[in-house]
Amino acid sequence: MIASSNGWWFPGDAMSPLGKRIDELFYLILGIVTVVFVGTQFALGYVIWKGATKKDGESAEFSHGSHSLELIWTIVPAFVLVFIALYQMDVWAEFRVQSYYPEQTQEDGPKFEVTARQFEWRIRYPEAGQPLKNQPEPQDLYAVNEIHVPTGRPVKFNLRTDDVQHAFFAPELRVKQDAVAGLIIPVWFEIPVAGEYQLLCAELCGWGHYKMRAIIVAEPQDKVNEYLARLKEDQDFDGVVKDAEEE
Amino acid sequence: MLVKTNRQFTILTIGLALVSFAGCSGSSDYPEAFKSRFVYSDRTDSLIAEAQNGIGELPGVKKLVDDRFGDPQDLMAWTKLPIDFGGISGKLAETPDASIAVKELKISFDGELATAENETILLQFVTGTAAPSVVVVNAWQPETGLASLSAAMEVAPAAGDEVIVGGGQKLVHGRGLYMRHCSHCHGTSGDGAGPTAQYLTPRPRDYRHGVFKFTSTDALSKASKDDLSRVLRNGIPGTYMPSFVPMLNEDDLADVVEYVRFLAMRGEFERKVVSELASDYSEEAVKSRRDSGESRKDIVEELKSFLAEDMQDSLEFVTDDLSGRWDSANSEDALVVPEIARVEDTIESRRIGRELYLSKTINCADCHGISAKGNGPQTTIYEENPVTKQLYTEPGLHDVWDNVNQPRNLTQGIYRGGRRPIDLFRRIHAGIKGSRMPSFKNLKHEDIWHIVNYVLSVPFNAEPGHAPVATSEDPATAASL
Amino acid sequence: MATVTPAIESHSDGHAHGHEHHHEIGFIKKYVFSTDHKVIGIQFLVTTMLMLMVGGALALAVRWQLAFPWENMPILGKIFTGEGGQISPEFYTMLFTMHASVMIFLVIIPVLAGAFGNFLIPLQIGADDMAFPIWNMLSYWCMWPAMACFAISFVAGGATAGPAAGWTSYPLLSALVNAAPGSGAAQTWWLFGLTLVGFSSMMGSVNYMTTIINMRAPGMTMFRMPLTIWSMFITAILQAFALPVLTAAGFMLVADRMMGTCFFIPAGIIVNNAEPTVGGGQPLLWQHLFWFYSHPAVYIMLLPAMGMVSDILSCMCRKPIFGYKPMVYSMSAIAGLGFIVWGHHMFTSGMNPALGMTFMTSTMMIALPSAIKTFNWIGTIWGGRVRFNAIFLNCAGFVSMFIVGGLSGIFMAAVPVDIYFHDTYFIVAHFHYVLFGSTLFGVFAAIQFWFPKMFGRLMNDTVAKWHFALTFIGFNGTFFPMHLLGIAGMPRRYADPYLHPYLEHLLPMNQFMTISAVLMGVAQFLLLGNFAYSVFMGKKTGRNPWDANGLEWSAPSPPGHGNFDVPPVCYRGPYEYSSPEAKAIGQDFILQTEPPVDASKIAASDTKNVH
Repeated sequence: MIASSNGWWFPGDAMSPLGKRIDELFYLILGIVTVVFVGTQFALGYVIWKGATKKDGESAEFSHGSHSLELIWTIVPAFVLVFIALYQMDVWAEFRVQSYYPEQTQEDGPKFEVTARQFEWRIRYPEAGQPLKNQPEPQDLYAVNEIHVPTGRPVKFNLRTDDVQHAFFAPELRVKQDAVAGLIIPVWFEIPVAGEYQLLCAELCGWGHYKMRAIIVAEPQDKVNEYLARLKEDQDFDGVVKDAEEE
Repeated sequence: MLVKTNRQFTILTIGLALVSFAGCSGSSDYPEAFKSRFVYSDRTDSLIAEAQNGIGELPGVKKLVDDRFGDPQDLMAWTKLPIDFGGISGKLAETPDASIAVKELKISFDGELATAENETILLQFVTGTAAPSVVVVNAWQPETGLASLSAAMEVAPAAGDEVIVGGGQKLVHGRGLYMRHCSHCHGTSGDGAGPTAQYLTPRPRDYRHGVFKFTSTDALSKASKDDLSRVLRNGIPGTYMPSFVPMLNEDDLADVVEYVRFLAMRGEFERKVVSELASDYSEEAVKSRRDSGESRKDIVEELKSFLAEDMQDSLEFVTDDLSGRWDSANSEDALVVPEIARVEDTIESRRIGRELYLSKTINCADCHGISAKGNGPQTTIYEENPVTKQLYTEPGLHDVWDNVNQPRNLTQGIYRGGRRPIDLFRRIHAGIKGSRMPSFKNLKHEDIWHIVNYVLSVPFNAEPGHAPVATSEDPATAASL
Repeated sequence: MATVTPAIESHSDGHAHGHEHHHEIGFIKKYVFSTDHKVIGIQFLVTTMLMLMVGGALALAVRWQLAFPWENMPILGKIFTGEGGQISPEFYTMLFTMHASVMIFLVIIPVLAGAFGNFLIPLQIGADDMAFPIWNMLSYWCMWPAMACFAISFVAGGATAGPAAGWTSYPLLSALVNAAPGSGAAQTWWLFGLTLVGFSSMMGSVNYMTTIINMRAPGMTMFRMPLTIWSMFITAILQAFALPVLTAAGFMLVADRMMGTCFFIPAGIIVNNAEPTVGGGQPLLWQHLFWFYSHPAVYIMLLPAMGMVSDILSCMCRKPIFGYKPMVYSMSAIAGLGFIVWGHHMFTSGMNPALGMTFMTSTMMIALPSAIKTFNWIGTIWGGRVRFNAIFLNCAGFVSMFIVGGLSGIFMAAVPVDIYFHDTYFIVAHFHYVLFGSTLFGVFAAIQFWFPKMFGRLMNDTVAKWHFALTFIGFNGTFFPMHLLGIAGMPRRYADPYLHPYLEHLLPMNQFMTISAVLMGVAQFLLLGNFAYSVFMGKKTGRNPWDANGLEWSAPSPPGHGNFDVPPVCYRGPYEYSSPEAKAIGQDFILQTEPPVDASKIAASDTKNVH
């Protein structure tokens, strides 16, 4: 396809299992829609061509319609549409309905909190071994525009905003969720492959909307722990250790 | 397109169109930043026209600034400034055979040449007969240092001539990034008056004072490069200054920092040159002088002789001061380093910290308030503008940019200069530059740590301002924000 | 010459001495503060065409930034923007906010209901005017204060800031005056403007409902009404029931902003270093209220065009509309379902996820009547004798583009897929295909179709064909690639998407789209020029230049005050093209006012036609 060979297609394959299923649904709809599109446009073109090339003296057909045709093109699309709707339900439930979240996330609880603000993402991790509380704790660790998550397991986190509405959009993961003032929204995703993934804002939040770029770093759990340890070390830095580089 | 060697200053003129960036990020087909010009400060505009524009051959303030800094489309690299303009210096390794057209040069570099083969780049002669000419290099052989020129040289150089390759490329790269990311708030000239600036509280920094608030350096020093890059990395919480990582990579950050320092120095240079003239040759001063009987003609004559005779020394003084101070900010000596490690964060320490906070001698509460909500008695007074000697129309503490700049509400857990203990230590030790937060460098470092411990506990204190109490094994966990 | 305007010419035609008793109506009353539905309709039409140019200019400025980010903008840059004519980010947010606001509230809604609703309803149902002529006049004159408010909102926020919360005005961006540049006075003026547009629409819709129910000509039963009237009727009902919700929400928002209420504002929010908010409101409430209106509004922006295109297609194909009653029922179904699908704009908003499933199902269902209508249009052309003029081309363009817009809607109706597509350019592509591709092509067709009735002259068909061709090419060149941008994950409302490395390679495509958009913009001058030229110099024409059936074609062109010289009586449906009855009188059309033809005559012509 021209589009995909030029990179005018998805930003890479979906990097989360749920994203893969979203892509499959997309391709299913794309298939159906392409057939309908080609069919109807062709039909339209055909009837116009026939109608425009009628010979002189030939008059238009006199018909007010056809009851059976109406029934066909009501029932068939209805069937297809209901099928599409029902077929999508479970992916949606798994993405958003908390009781359908992967069991792992229910056990782990939220691992960190992402707070959107104009115009950056602030991340708060609980102290190692502690659960995340909704209110900040003295020993919490803070980071900006960089989220470290372990690979290969579903990770749940809390999403909130400091000011106006934002949306957490990770295109490669096919995850999007608005951050609404006054709400704490649990979101989860799973990344099987280590790497860096884009995070940006998808809900208009002011003039700097386009600036809200961050990365999600997926890496093995021990690397995440190392990162958190580094973060803690830096955060507790009191300037006395001579050798410690100033970042 | 010249390396000029002037009486007082050396300038590398940067040919924009020809400089290509080695190893810079971003797609190359992204359009160049918009065209815009530097503006002069209001204080420059307050001078009489002759002082602004010069008299005959004698340069006025505008030309003095432009000669050294250029404009965004045609930047100057004034080598006296402690700025890393980019480029790499080297020497001509062999004298080329002048009997045939010189189209190849062999150069030995002081460092490694970070450019790929077949990249167009400028080579500038600093010394020798060929100076100050600039040649365009079409292709490189990085191993041998052999450069193929796009055209034969008019004057043959000799071995040992000093050259700079890719001069100014860091500055040009920094400018492109600055225009794209920063200028709509901080302005093309770094005057903090870009189109978006008027809607923001607090106002974006006006670099032209050469003052940056949150530094790791002592009370009298400028901001170091690390300080500026730290702000770019972390943003300033509680303001519209966002974090620019991962939008900018390491090279980008360094180049933006250089460009911001360039703008700051440009603004400060302009300010200082104006200061040399303002007391006698501002419109206002000239008016009052004329009222007291002097003729305008005499004043202009006087200005002329000042520009011709005294300006030279003034410029030298200004330049040395500027470059010296910006340079020393990056030295180890300027860094604020506590003499002792952080005092353990105990209830007792916080209690001492609170007492110091409230004490008559330190009196943090005078501004920050007894309950640390940033509402001390000082926040309601009408201050006098130190320059105009008139009262500000709005109550509250003002900064050197004449904006209301009230003390931080410490209960929110928002720390603009960073939340690390060392950051708070430095805020107290060196003060917040340009603001009414003074330096407490004479305090014992132990005491500063006590105050830091107290301040860090404030957001978790159920009743801010009251003495810290233990409610569970960790005193602060029971508190809420 | 006084022939420009409808009222005079017909009167001077009708009775030579008619001038005298019209002298008491002064110029101002006749052409400015007129209560004549035709004059009001034409006023609406001309105003909206001007606003179309304004909205288009704003769109081109947006496209400039996307194609040449941060480069000095030509022309407009000098007037509005910051240093060196650059579009600053807050100026960009204003540009797309005002583009949408102008296009939706000042172009599409008024051109459909205001211009064509006004002009066509009395003429097509055989009434001499609207039920409430003065309300009708006020409905037009409410547009001007509304436009003034929008105009003030451009400048009230400061040099480079205007309303910046998008046309959807989601709180808190719109609720807190400090939330963004332009969230202050500019946003307030914008909300006032919106409210006034609402008043205008409301007066119109009450008027349309009353007129259609009470003032039909003898014999004009509900199922003999042209589909245009049906669509206007259903639209008016939608307006009447949905609009109060938006008006109420607007007042709540104004109260939040100016009176310290907290409908939409939760506690503890700090923007722009202002004091933390107090309150226990919820921003999602606005989204529910807003979309409860604005989803039906999507159909308000589409149904009348559907109705008019049905009329025109039938006439241009010389064939009865295929499935008249299914058309009516499907329009009613769209209207009914339109009230229970608003949540599909909010799939990722954080509302109760169970609602997501409900709204997905209802949204899928609303695709059904649209499908039925599309098949019926194709069925109408099928076997017809097509008059291949610019009017027909615009109608065909409408159907073709509506198919694209409708099908792309299915992607985002599917919630999981919408997780990815929400707030990307895929959405932008979708609604431009529906609102521009469908509605505006329908409007272009309608302008040319009813132009002779408005001014007694024809528009130039060749120019109109060029206009169609250029617009069609420019339109698809601009908006089709947006689907691809959406799939590539480019979010909406980004002043500089290329800050994100995975979007960098889309710059050339955006430049192509901008060039297409400029082409499309330039093409609109053909329409304007053709329109202006033809008003004065177009070829003169009689009552029924298209050999159409509707009641309006039995009136003079242009119709005089009171519309009909002979009070019309309706004998049949509006789509009896090529019927045996028509053939019996030697035509392929038969006016609705034509008395029934003798059965014997029909039989005779039938046998003749069989050979």
